[in-house]
Amino acid sequence: MVLAVFVVRALSPAFVNDQLSDFQLPDRVQDTLTLAMSVIIESVPFVFLGILLSAVVQVWLPHGVLARHLPRNPILRRASISLLGMFFPVCECGNVPLARGFMVGGFTVSESITFLLAAPILNPITIITTHQAFGWDGHILVARLVGGFLIANVVGWLFSKHPDPQSLLTTRFAAACAVGSTSGHDHAHARESRFSQTTEIFIRETSVIMPALFIGSAVAALTQVFVPRSVLLALGSNPVWSVLAMMALAFIVAVCSNVDAFFVLSFGSTFLPGGIVAFLVFGALIDVKMLALMRTTFTSRTLVQITVVVGLMSAALGLLVNYVA
Amino acid sequence: MLPDAKLSGALRYWAERWQGVLLSLVVVVATLWLALSGQLGLYIHPRYFVFTIVMAVIGLVLVGAGFARRRSFEVERTGRVATALTGVGVVLLVIMGVAMVVVPPTTLTSATATQREVNSGGLGTEDDADQAAALIGTGDFEQLSVREWVSLLAQSSDPGFYADKTAQVTGFVTPDTKDSENVFYVARFVVTCCAVDAQPIGVPVYLPGWQSEYEIDDWVQVTGRFDPSVSAAASDPLAITPVEILPVDQPKDPYVY
Repeated sequence: MVLAVFVVRALSPAFVNDQLSDFQLPDRVQDTLTLAMSVIIESVPFVFLGILLSAVVQVWLPHGVLARHLPRNPILRRASISLLGMFFPVCECGNVPLARGFMVGGFTVSESITFLLAAPILNPITIITTHQAFGWDGHILVARLVGGFLIANVVGWLFSKHPDPQSLLTTRFAAACAVGSTSGHDHAHARESRFSQTTEIFIRETSVIMPALFIGSAVAALTQVFVPRSVLLALGSNPVWSVLAMMALAFIVAVCSNVDAFFVLSFGSTFLPGGIVAFLVFGALIDVKMLALMRTTFTSRTLVQITVVVGLMSAALGLLVNYVA
Repeated sequence: MLPDAKLSGALRYWAERWQGVLLSLVVVVATLWLALSGQLGLYIHPRYFVFTIVMAVIGLVLVGAGFARRRSFEVERTGRVATALTGVGVVLLVIMGVAMVVVPPTTLTSATATQREVNSGGLGTEDDADQAAALIGTGDFEQLSVREWVSLLAQSSDPGFYADKTAQVTGFVTPDTKDSENVFYVARFVVTCCAVDAQPIGVPVYLPGWQSEYEIDDWVQVTGRFDPSVSAAASDPLAITPVEILPVDQPKDPYVY
C-alpha cells in the first residue's frame, strides 16, 4: 500500500510544464489546492510531533500520578493545571482525549475544562511558533498567553460553581471514558510493547485529527481564494469589526493552535493587532472542529455556555489591545 | 440489519480504522516526494525542510506499523444525518487525498496575486531597506532583485534618485488592477512560513498593449529605467520603461524568502 502510493506519485506528472501533460486546472482551483496543501504540509509535522509526545507521556507516566501531586486549593490547583500544557505540547485536538483521560484519572469536570482551554495556548510549540511568526510585535504574544491563562481559569472557576458537574457531561461519557482509558492504561494493553501502544495512539489520534486538518485547510484555502481581500481590508482597519471578523474566521478555518500563528500572519498587515489577538485566543480554544471533538464529552448546553464565555472574553481582550495597547 | 445501519457501520469502521492512517500516508508520500524532487519550497519555507522531512520519515514508520496492526474496537451506531455527514466527509477527503498525490505541484498564480493586492505588505522594512541600500552602494544595479527595488520604491519615489540606474528584474507578469491596459507588474511572492502567507510584491512596468504580447503568469526578465509613470491611473508614481523584455523559464526558487 505504502509503495503503491509512492508509485502513483512518481508516475503522475511531476511538473506543470511536463511534456507528458497539458494538464492544467483553472487558476483558482489550482491555487486553492496549493494553499490547502501548504497548510497541511506545514502542520502535519507538528501534529505528528504532538501525537508522539502525547504517546510518550501516556505510555510512560503512571496512571493518576498527576492528580495526586497538584495543590489542594481549587484556584491554585486549576492555575497549575492550566500550565500542564507546557509538558503536554499537543495541539487542541490531541488535548481532548487527554482531558478525558484526566477525568477518568481523578480530575473534576471544571479542572479538565480548564486544561482543555489553557493547554492549546500555554504550550511550548504554540509559544515558539507564535514568537516565530510575530516576535514581540504589538504585544501579540504576551496578550495571547495572558488572555489564554485568564480565560481558562475564569471558565474553570465558573463551572466549579455548578451544583451538579456530572450533568455537564454526555450520558454516553461513561462508555467514552472506557475508550479514553485505553490510552495505554487498561489491562488488555498493559502487556503490549511501548511501540505497539504508540502505534495504537497514532492510529486513533490521526483518525480524529487528520480529517479535521484536511477539511480545515480546504475551508481556509477557499476563503483565501474566493473572499476578496478588499472585504477583509475594509473590516480589518475598524477596531471593533477587525476583532469580530477575525473571530468568525478563526471559528471557520479551525487551524490547530500550534500553527495558527503562521496562518494569521498573512493577515498581519491587514488587521489591527486586536483582531489578530482575538483570532489567536478564540480560535485556539473554540472552532468548528473543536466543538465536534468536545461534543464527544460535554453536552451541547455546556458547549454553548463555554463558547459564549470564551467568545465574550476574547472579544474584550481584542478590543482592549486595539484601544489601549 | 437494515441497509442504513450497514452503511453507517461500514463508514464508521472505515473512519476509525483507516482514515487517519491513509491520510497520513498521503501527506508523508507527498512531502517526501516533493523533498526528493526539490519542490518542497513550493509549499513551505526552507527553514522547515529538515524538521518536516524528519517528521515525515517518522510518520512513515508509524503508518507502516499502523497498517500492520490488528485492532478490535466497537463501532458506534449513528443516525441517518450523522451517516450522511460522514459519507460527505469521506468523499471530500478522498478527493483531496487523491489530488494531493496526482496533481502536479506548482506555484501560486496571478489569481492570488491580484486577490491579495500587489505590494500591500509582506516586506520586513528595515532589513530589506538596509540590504537594498548596501547593493545600491556597489553600483551594480542589475544585482538588485524585485524585492530590493520594491523596498527602495517604498521609501522614495523621487525620479532623480533612479535617473542613472538601470534595473534588470525577473518575475511573473500580473496586471496593475488600476490600469491593466498599460501597466503590469514583474512580480514575486514573498513567503514567510508557507504558501498560505505568500504576499505578492512587484515592480511596475509601463507598456501600453502589453497584453497582446505577454500572458498573465508568463515569466519575464525586464531591463529598463524608472520614469514617472505616464499612466495617471496606475497604482505607483514610477514605472520601468522597458528597453528589453525576455521570456525566461520559471526559476528553481520561484518564491522569495
